Amino acid sequence: MSGGNRNVGMMAEELDLPSCEQLREEEQLKGEGLEVHQAVKGSQVSYVDPLLPSPLDYPLKKEVFDDLENGSRQTKTKSLNLASDKQCHTENAPSGAALLPRGVTEDTQCFSVVPKEDSRAEGNTSHEPLGSISHFTANQERQFLNTLEQCTLLEEDLKKTPYSLPSKEVLDCEVTSVKSNSNTMEKSKGVVHNISSVTCNIDKENETNGVMLDEHLPPESAQNTAGRCSELNDLSSADDNLKQSYSISTEGSIETSVVGFSNVGFTENPKLGDVVADYEVDLKELTDSASTDNTLEDSGDFPSISSVVGTSTAEVLPPTMPVQREEDVTAESWRTKRRHVFVLSEAGKPIYSRYGNEEALSSTMGVMMALVSFVQSGNNSIRSIHSENQKVVFLQQGPLVLVSVSRSRQSDEQLRRELQYVYYQIISMLTQASVARIFEKKKNYDLRRLLAGSEKILDSLLDLLDTDPGFLLGAVQCLALASSLRDSLSSILTKAITANLVFSILVADHHLVTVVQERAVIEDCRLDPADLHLLLNLIGASSAFQAGEIWTPICLPRFNPDGYFYAYISYLDPQCTVCLVLLSTDKESFYAVSGCKARILEAMEAQNSLQALAAALQTCSYSVSLVGVPELLHFIYKPLDVPETYQQLPQFTSPEPDGPYSSEEERQRLFDLYRYLHCRIHSSSRPLRLIYHVAEKETMLAWVTSKFELYTTFSSLVTKVGAINVITKLLRWIKREEDRLFIRYPPKYSTTPLPGKGGKSNRTDRTDPYQNGFFTGL
Amino acid sequence: MIKKPDVKVVLLGDMNVGKTSLLHRYMDRKFQDTVSTVGGAFYLKQWRSYNISIWDTAGREQFHGLGSMYCRSASAIILTYDVSSKQSLMELEDRFLGLTDTASEDCLFAVVGNKIDLTDDYEGEEESEGERPRTCSTSKVRKQVYLEDAIALYKRIMKYKMVDENHAPAAEKMCFETSAKTGHNVDVLFESVFNMVIPLIVKKKANGPEDTINLSQESTEKHTKTGCC
Repeated sequence: MSGGNRNVGMMAEELDLPSCEQLREEEQLKGEGLEVHQAVKGSQVSYVDPLLPSPLDYPLKKEVFDDLENGSRQTKTKSLNLASDKQCHTENAPSGAALLPRGVTEDTQCFSVVPKEDSRAEGNTSHEPLGSISHFTANQERQFLNTLEQCTLLEEDLKKTPYSLPSKEVLDCEVTSVKSNSNTMEKSKGVVHNISSVTCNIDKENETNGVMLDEHLPPESAQNTAGRCSELNDLSSADDNLKQSYSISTEGSIETSVVGFSNVGFTENPKLGDVVADYEVDLKELTDSASTDNTLEDSGDFPSISSVVGTSTAEVLPPTMPVQREEDVTAESWRTKRRHVFVLSEAGKPIYSRYGNEEALSSTMGVMMALVSFVQSGNNSIRSIHSENQKVVFLQQGPLVLVSVSRSRQSDEQLRRELQYVYYQIISMLTQASVARIFEKKKNYDLRRLLAGSEKILDSLLDLLDTDPGFLLGAVQCLALASSLRDSLSSILTKAITANLVFSILVADHHLVTVVQERAVIEDCRLDPADLHLLLNLIGASSAFQAGEIWTPICLPRFNPDGYFYAYISYLDPQCTVCLVLLSTDKESFYAVSGCKARILEAMEAQNSLQALAAALQTCSYSVSLVGVPELLHFIYKPLDVPETYQQLPQFTSPEPDGPYSSEEERQRLFDLYRYLHCRIHSSSRPLRLIYHVAEKETMLAWVTSKFELYTTFSSLVTKVGAINVITKLLRWIKREEDRLFIRYPPKYSTTPLPGKGGKSNRTDRTDPYQNGFFTGL
Repeated sequence: MIKKPDVKVVLLGDMNVGKTSLLHRYMDRKFQDTVSTVGGAFYLKQWRSYNISIWDTAGREQFHGLGSMYCRSASAIILTYDVSSKQSLMELEDRFLGLTDTASEDCLFAVVGNKIDLTDDYEGEEESEGERPRTCSTSKVRKQVYLEDAIALYKRIMKYKMVDENHAPAAEKMCFETSAKTGHNVDVLFESVFNMVIPLIVKKKANGPEDTINLSQESTEKHTKTGCC
């Protein structure tokens, strides 16, 4: 171990990277832990991490609580008590090994143990006093394992009948400790976070769903909301069969208790001794978790639930004309989709749905809007609803409400960021200003009129979000290319310019080749990777581009959400792989910009660049085997140490997933793991710098330093020392290939006349039209 | 080296009427699924010794603002509708006619009903279709717009443009029913539009440059210099 460390240290120095020791110091300073998890699926576990006695400043994502004696549930756990994520970081529990069922992947239950020595080695500090250590007795352990079996069984059940609610499983929640004492649950009662608060109803049998709200609700507002319940009830009770009631108690916290099928719209909850407003919301497919309250229903209800759900939507939704992208929204296949995304207007008008016809979903969207406006009425904004195996995340952007219903294990932040991308894509077609203006004029405007035909673009964006790490990292991957070729292409672009041309972008096979920016624009702004992603998605989703030359207005929302650029898009080769995008600020400059393309094409033909590009494209998707380390299966590397002046475009590099990740499902699984690591690394409440994570089929290591952000995947047999050695080799390799993998020095051209171009490039006269034309909309 | 267009032809019409498909059929001789056009697509067609630029515009309301830019100094405008959608014909008058104001003064108009293959009376010739009963019950896809509706629209357009009907080409000659899928009448449409528009351009060129700067005019001169083909 120490030998390995020294070795690593040496290499790290050569590479001008922080050594492990430095890193460790850094960790200590930051008070952040190196978290080391090892999979011990089904193996002996003798200790459990104690629950922290003090309330945590972290929202309880979910507490699963069950009582065997109640007998009303299928789950056979006795007092399975799951606490918040926060607790899983108490690695230095004396002789403790926390049992961490990591619900990371959908198909695997993976348990991680935090061995003590690692926490010691990293000098991890726990700022929480440690409570009593509960020993995990053999009996309890058996029970726990039973539960887990149950979990997997139920998960399978769930896959079959995802809306038949019986699950109260750990599957989608962070399970950190298992305790035999259910009373400790009480401790976490009333845990309140500054920003979001989720309280769980601790009533013995109650299963809970968390509703995260922006703020703590003061008692008055809770009562206010109580007053509005009846309205809402009217609103939604018309066609609801599946009723989910949220109780908002005057304790000042939002409680979600699912009250099964009680048709009570307004009740007093004597148990809490508070006035509780229950309002019923027809969530239909959105939450599958509806009834989990054992007191109000017995297990006999379950079959009826699923049947009710099955029929309810059929009754509710009027038969609609078959549309091309029609999908039966009542069908099982629709409901079992991994992720749904809905966009609606503030008036509750459907704008977009990833699957199925928006009109058929109008009642569902109405319910979403009801949820949003209900919480809004208490001067709050709804952020997410967590149910058994789904998350419903809300994002309000101007007059638009975006909702994501996801079964994946992504964090709220990640889902919200995806919604943000969807919003940006809409904005990129319409601009924020015009969307705002439209809804200002007419609240119930049907935005689909303007977006008609753009569904494919949004569909492909959502597909990309599931495969392209660029969205996750906020970076773009450029085509691996010899730097000489890239430079020559850049200089061709730099020379072929015209007035009002701002960006020249060359794309090959959906990968960025080079970007050239007008310097005046660079000065205070830069091309945001998100904008580039949206642009590339637009090009990729529009096969109509492959013939002729396109001239279209497009807004780069990160650059300026209210103004249009005019994009000239043209393919340069007959196979339509090399695509030139020229962004101008002048609506009328098509012919001038088209002239630029002709010059670019001419120059490229003269230099044989197209052939060189085609040759590069053949080998562009490099394999991880190039690194020459067999243990390394895959990696994602995002440099952070780019020189300040060239930092306008965050980039990353990642090999084409191959080997074990050749199949679509495995790729998705790998990407889900990366998402998980990314969410842990960038967790707002507890960011980490290093995670060594042993998953079921692979070992992963994520590492963030001031110089890079790195995610690596190893074969499962790798040791920690081995992994660090591999990373050292990988970093060396990247250093060597840097010029090929990244655009190191993105070229800019300035307003000064270019040599040899004479009057044409005398660009001082362009400042005026440039400024005039810049913010003009359509 | 750069081919400059002599004539500008613009395809206008509601979304999903098949503008891109028509053009695709004519240019590439094939029919394939297209996605909604974004903005406008510019094509250059070598026709006889002339370079004809064709703008395939997006029918979506979203891109309405660009319409007048595409139409600027156009020599011919092909207004396209879908024979199975009455609405698409009405849209031509409501939404797209106004865009043609920026077109050149003697601009030619053609009214084209696409998707004729979808209608049940497709096997026969168009002439017989006027006699069919107007009201269609719900068999498969019934024709909703008949050639005479298009002719009526054409006459209204002429009136709107304040062109004397006697000077303009006969309505019967400027209304077409096509199928981009089968290729029916597609070549006839484009060839006859080009045939009619070229003499106009030649005449205009002979009359010397106008006082307004005309892009196609300018390029015509360039073209004679390079004189390829």
